Amino acid sequence: MGTVVARLVRAEWTKLFTTRVWIGLLLGACVLSGAFAALFTAFAGNQDSGLPPLDSPEYARLAFSIATNATVISVVLGIIGITQEYRHRTATPTFLATPQRGRVVIAKLLAYALVAVPYAVLVCAVTVAVVLVYGNARGNAPELTGENLEVLAFAGLALVVYTVIGVGLGALLKNQVGAIVAALVYLYVVEPLLRSIPATSGAYKWLPGGALEAMTATFQGPDLLEQWQGVLLLLGYGLAAALLGTLLAVRRDVV
Amino acid sequence: MPPGDVPRGPRGASTALATGQAGALGWLRCRTGRRNEEGEITSVRSAAVDPVRVEVNGLTKTFGTVRAVDDLSFTVEPGQVTGFLGPNGAGKTTTLRMALGLITPDNGTTTFNGVRYAGLPEPMRQVGAVLETAFHPARSGRDHLRVYCRATGLPVRRADEVLEQVGLGTAGRRRAGGYSLGMRQRLGLATALLGDPAVLVLDEPANGLDPEGIQWLRGFLRHLAHTQGRTVLVSSHLLAEVEQTADRVVIVGAGKLVREGTLAELRSGNAGSVLVRSPHSTALADLLRTTGTTVAPTDAIPDGLTVTGLSTDEVGRRAFAGGIELHELRSHTSGLEEIYFQLTAGQEQYAAAHAEQGAA
Repeated sequence: MGTVVARLVRAEWTKLFTTRVWIGLLLGACVLSGAFAALFTAFAGNQDSGLPPLDSPEYARLAFSIATNATVISVVLGIIGITQEYRHRTATPTFLATPQRGRVVIAKLLAYALVAVPYAVLVCAVTVAVVLVYGNARGNAPELTGENLEVLAFAGLALVVYTVIGVGLGALLKNQVGAIVAALVYLYVVEPLLRSIPATSGAYKWLPGGALEAMTATFQGPDLLEQWQGVLLLLGYGLAAALLGTLLAVRRDVV
Repeated sequence: MPPGDVPRGPRGASTALATGQAGALGWLRCRTGRRNEEGEITSVRSAAVDPVRVEVNGLTKTFGTVRAVDDLSFTVEPGQVTGFLGPNGAGKTTTLRMALGLITPDNGTTTFNGVRYAGLPEPMRQVGAVLETAFHPARSGRDHLRVYCRATGLPVRRADEVLEQVGLGTAGRRRAGGYSLGMRQRLGLATALLGDPAVLVLDEPANGLDPEGIQWLRGFLRHLAHTQGRTVLVSSHLLAEVEQTADRVVIVGAGKLVREGTLAELRSGNAGSVLVRSPHSTALADLLRTTGTTVAPTDAIPDGLTVTGLSTDEVGRRAFAGGIELHELRSHTSGLEEIYFQLTAGQEQYAAAHAEQGAA
C-alpha cells in the first residue's frame, strides 16, 4: 500500500502543478503576510495603533507570528485540492483509477501537507525579510533567536496544519465555493465574534483559532491554552477533518 | 481478497508497454497503409489480451421513490461489442456507475472474471471506462492523462501514445477547456485506453462526435473487440448507433432488462416492413396477402403498399411470378427499430410518472 500511496501523492502533485492555481495562492500568501509585516513594522510603537515599540520582546513575538495571517490561504489551498475533483467532475476518473477512495483522500492529505512545508517556509521567509529589512531601516529590528525563532516555527506549522484542515473541510463539503465561503465566514466572522463575546470567549480557546493563538499569542487576549496544548489541539482538528472527510468520501456515491 | 480471486494479472499489458507495442497503436499503423503488418500485429495482440467476461447480477438501485435500476442481470462477452440500449432515463448510466464501483447498489454485484471492480488489483489496467467527458479546464489533455499514469504507476509516455491512438496528438498540449465536444470524447477514450485494458465501458461515446468521428469510433471499437479480443460495452439511447457496431445488445427500459441477445436473434421473427409500389396495387395486394403477412395501402403514396411479414426478396419473387409490374421495392424499417420501440414504449413515461409522484 505504501508504494500505491506514494504513486497517488505524485499524482496529486501533478494535478496541483499542472494548473496555475498554486502560483496565485503562493503569491497571495506572500503578499498578504509581507504587507502585514510592513504595516506592523511601520506602526510599531505608535501610540494610536496600540502596537508595542520596535525594541520590545512583545513586538518581536508579534512580528514573527504575522505569517499566521496566511492560514486563510492555506485553508483555501486545501479546499481547492479536494473540491476541484467534484467541481470539474474529475472525481470519476480519479476513483476509477483508485476505487479504494480512502487511499485517495490519504494521498491528498499527505500531498498537501508536504506541499505546505515549502509554502510555509517561503511565507515565513518573506515575513522575516520584511520585518528585518524594514525594522533595520527604522533603526531597530528584532533578533531572530530563541523564543522568536520558536514563534516563527509555530507560525509555519500552523500554515501546514490549516492546509490539512482545508483538505478535510473540502472532503466534507464537496462544493468548492460553499466550502471557501464557509471557511472565510468562520475565520473572519464566527471566531472573532465568539472571541469577543464574554459569554462565549471561554469556549474560544478550544476552537482552531484559539489553538492557533495559544501557539503564537502575543497580546493579552482571552483565556488560552498552553502553547503545547494549542499545538496538539490544532493537529487534532486537522486529523479530525481528515478522518471525517475520508469517511464521507468513501461512502458517497459519485454521480 | 484471497489471492485465488485475482484474475490472471493485467494480461500482457505490462509486457506490451515495456516493448513499446502499445495497445492498438499497431492498428493505427495498419490504418496508415502498412497493411502487410496487420496479420502479424493482430496475432501478437490477440495473444496478449486474456478474455474477461463481465457479469452483472441482480443490480438494484433506488433514488428516493424512483427505482432507477431493478434487479438487472446480463453478461458481456469478450471479443464482442455489446450495445447497452435503452431510452433516456432507463438506468443505463446508473448501471454502469454501479458496475464500476462509483455508486453503491442497494443490491446485486458486477464482476470482471469473478472479481468486483474494487477488488481488481490494478483496475485501470483491466477495465477502461468513459463515463463523462469532464476535465479540469485549465489542465492540458496530456497533463490530464499524465495524472492517471502517475496514479496507476504507468510510464508517463503512455499519455502521448494514447493521444496519438485517438487522434489528438497535436491538441494534447492545449488546455482541455478549449476542446470541442468531440475532442473531449476522444480524450475520455484516451483516458480509458491508458492501461491497455481488456474491458472497455463507454457511456454514450458518440455524443458530440461528427459523422467522421462516429465512423472512426465504430471501426475502432470493432477492432478492439473482434481483432484484439477485448470486451466492449457501449451504451446508447439510439438503436441506429449501436446497430452497425454491436454484435449483441442488452435492452433496458425503466431499469429492467427487456431483451438480451444477438442482433440476429432479435431480428428473427420480425423482418420489418417492406414498401412496394405498383400500378396494379390491388392485384399485388391479393397476391401478397397470405397467412402471417399484412398488406396495407401506404399513406401519401397512392399506388404504394406496406407489407409486413415478408422480405423484399419474397415480395419481388411473388410479383415476378404473378407477372405484376413493380415501380419500387425497398425495406421500410429494419425491423430491429420496431422491436426497440415496442420493447421500450412507455418506459420513459413510467420513470417520469414516478418522479412526479416523488415530487407530490
